Amino acid sequence: MTTAEHNPGRTADVLIVGAGASGAAVAASLSEAGFDVVCIEQGHWQDSFKYPTADSDFEFKAMSSWSINPNKRRLPEDYPVNVEDSAVDPVMFNGVGGSTIMWVAHTPRLHPSDFRVKSQDGVADDWPISYEDLEPWYDLNDHVMGCSGISGDPANPPRSERPMPPIPIGRDGEMIAGAFDRLGWHWWPSDAYINSTRYGQGRDACNFCGHNMMGCYQRAKASTDLTYWPRAIDQGAELVTGARVREITTDSVGRATGVNYLDAEGNDRHRTARSVVMAANGIGTPRLMLLSDSKNHPAGLSNSSGLVGKNLMFHMFGGTFGVFPEHMDPWVGPVANIILSQEFYETDPDRGFLRGYTFQMSRGQGPGSIARGVAGHRVPWGENHHAVLERRFRNTLGLGPIGDDLPEEHNSVTLDERLTDSSGLPAPKITYRVSDNSRALLDHAITQGTKVLKEAGATEILVNPQSRETGWHLMGTARMGDDPERSVVDKNGQSHDIDNLFIVDGSVFVTGGAVNPTPTIQAIALRTADYITNNRGDLKA
Amino acid sequence: MVIKPDTYLLTAALNRVIPPVGDLPGAGGMELAEEVIKRSATDFRFQDALTRVLGALPSPNDFLALDDDGQDDALRTAESSHADAFGLWLDVVYTVYYMHPEVHQRLDWHGRSPQPEGNVMPPWDESVLGLIRKRDPFWRKA
Repeated sequence: MTTAEHNPGRTADVLIVGAGASGAAVAASLSEAGFDVVCIEQGHWQDSFKYPTADSDFEFKAMSSWSINPNKRRLPEDYPVNVEDSAVDPVMFNGVGGSTIMWVAHTPRLHPSDFRVKSQDGVADDWPISYEDLEPWYDLNDHVMGCSGISGDPANPPRSERPMPPIPIGRDGEMIAGAFDRLGWHWWPSDAYINSTRYGQGRDACNFCGHNMMGCYQRAKASTDLTYWPRAIDQGAELVTGARVREITTDSVGRATGVNYLDAEGNDRHRTARSVVMAANGIGTPRLMLLSDSKNHPAGLSNSSGLVGKNLMFHMFGGTFGVFPEHMDPWVGPVANIILSQEFYETDPDRGFLRGYTFQMSRGQGPGSIARGVAGHRVPWGENHHAVLERRFRNTLGLGPIGDDLPEEHNSVTLDERLTDSSGLPAPKITYRVSDNSRALLDHAITQGTKVLKEAGATEILVNPQSRETGWHLMGTARMGDDPERSVVDKNGQSHDIDNLFIVDGSVFVTGGAVNPTPTIQAIALRTADYITNNRGDLKA
Repeated sequence: MVIKPDTYLLTAALNRVIPPVGDLPGAGGMELAEEVIKRSATDFRFQDALTRVLGALPSPNDFLALDDDGQDDALRTAESSHADAFGLWLDVVYTVYYMHPEVHQRLDWHGRSPQPEGNVMPPWDESVLGLIRKRDPFWRKA
C-alpha cells in the first residue's frame, strides 16, 4: 500500500491529522466524495503477521515495546505524557489504525440518555445532537468495520441488524450470563468489531486464538488500517506516515492554511490545505491546538472559549475478578467483548450517584500476566507461588465496570513546561482526579460485581477499586455545542472560531456515557464528513 | 551494568522467589538469571529495578551463606525497603519464567497465541438468550 507523498507542493482540499479510528473514516468518506485528501500520521503501518502475540515472549513485550502505555513503550512515534497529577494513565497506540490496532474492539453504542445528561440529571451539559441524529452513521460504521452482534437487547433502542451474528460467548460466558439471569439482571452478548464469519477484504473469522489486544494476526478484529484506509487510498487519499505535525498554520485572518510537520527524516516540512481536520483524539488534538498559538489565536487554536484541553474525561474502570474452582481456559476467545450488563446504566438516585456503568466480562491472559497480578494482586513469591498461580491461572474471569465520568474543567490537558517528545515538542501534561460521583459509582459496581461473580460460583474475589493504567477513552477536551462560549466546535464538528477547521475525534464528546467510545467517535467522524461533502463545496478545488 | 558475581546472587534469589515445582528446579536452577539480566537491559526501568534489588541484598557470598529462611528474610527486607523496584523486578522475573517452554509444558499451556491454527470457536447458541429476551425494554428515553 502506497505511503509515498505525491505532489507534496499541491494544496489539498482536506488535510487530516491522525490516521486512527476517526481520521481513517473521514479520509475514506471525503475521498469517495471527490475531495483531495492528505493525512499525516506520526506512526507507521503495521504488519498483522508480525503482531507479537504469536511470539513466545509476547507477555514481556506487553510490558515494554508493545505496552499499551506510551510512557512505557517509548517508541519514537509516541509522545510522553506527564501523569504526575493524574489518577489515571492514558493509554493509546500511534500508527496507521491508531488505537484500533491495540483494542478489544468492544463496540456498544451510547444510550439516548447520554446525549441529554443536563436535561435528565441536571449535571454536565446536553449534546447538540441526539442518538437519533447519529444513528445512520452508527449503522454505516458497523458495516464498514464489521459488527458481530444480535438485535433485541432490552437495555438499548431497537436498531438495524448487525452484518454478522454474535461471537459465541463460550462456556465461561454462559456461566456469567447464568448468574445475571438468576439475579434477574440484564446481560447481552457484546457487540464486537470482530468477525464471527469471514467479512471484509482479506479478513477471516475469529479463530479464538485469544490475546487479541496486541493486534490481530487473523485480521478478524477490525482496525482502520484494514477497513477504511484501503478504501481511502483506492480513492486517491494520500497517507504520509512517520511524520509529526507540530503546528496548524493560519493566515492573516486566522483561517487554517495547512500544517508544519517533521517528516520521517526529521526535516521541517509544510503542507497547504483548504481545510484541516483534527483526528488525534482527546490528548493529541488539544495538545496540537495549544501548540498552534499565534497572533490571531494567542490562547491556542480555536480556543476563544478557553475550553481546549479542559473537561478531560476517561471512563472509570475498576476490577472485580472471580477465581473459580473449575478450569475455564480463559485465554481462548476474545479478551473482553463477550457479554455486557447494563443493569445499572441509567441514573437511580437511590444509589447515591448520578449516571451509571456497564459491566464488561473479561477473560484472562497468559501465566505471566496472571503472575504479575490480577486486579493488581500479584502472585506472591516464595513457597506459595505455584499454588496461588495454579489456582488463578486457568480459573479467573473478570467483570469490569466502565463508569460514566462526568466532565469537570479542572481535569485537563495542558502543555508540559519541561517534558518533550522525541522531536523536542512540548509533551502533554494530564491533570485528573477521580470525582466523588465516580468513586461512589465504582464502589457500587464492585459490590454488585462481587455479587454476580459469587452467584456464578467464584470462591475467591480479587478487587481493584480503581485501575490506573486504563485511560483508553480520551474524551471531552474540545467539546461540541451550540454556544461558542461553552464549546469549541459546533454540532457538525466545525470550529466556532475557524470555519475551515474541524474536529472529529473523542475530544468533541460532551459527556462520556458508560460504553467504549469508538463507534460513537467514528459515527461523529462520518457525520462530519457528510456535512463537509454536502455543505462545504467551497473547500473543494 | 550487572557484573558476574551478581549473576550468582540473582540465581540464588530466583530459586527462593520461584522455588522448584514438580520436575522443574527453581527459576535460578533453570538458568534464567542471564535472561533476566538480558531482558532488564532493554529498558531502563527494569535495569534500575534489578540494580536496586541486588543492591539491597547482602553480598553474593553472604547471601549464599544463608540458609533458606535467611535468604527469604533478606529478600523480604529488600522488598520492604525498595517496594516499587522489588515489584517491578518481580514482574520481569515472573514474565521471564513464564516464557519458558518447560514451564508451558508443565502448565499444559501452548505458550502463545496459536497461529495460524487458532482454537475452536464454539457454535452460537441462541437459547442462552431465552430468559433475557422476555424482559421488557428498559432504556431511558430522551
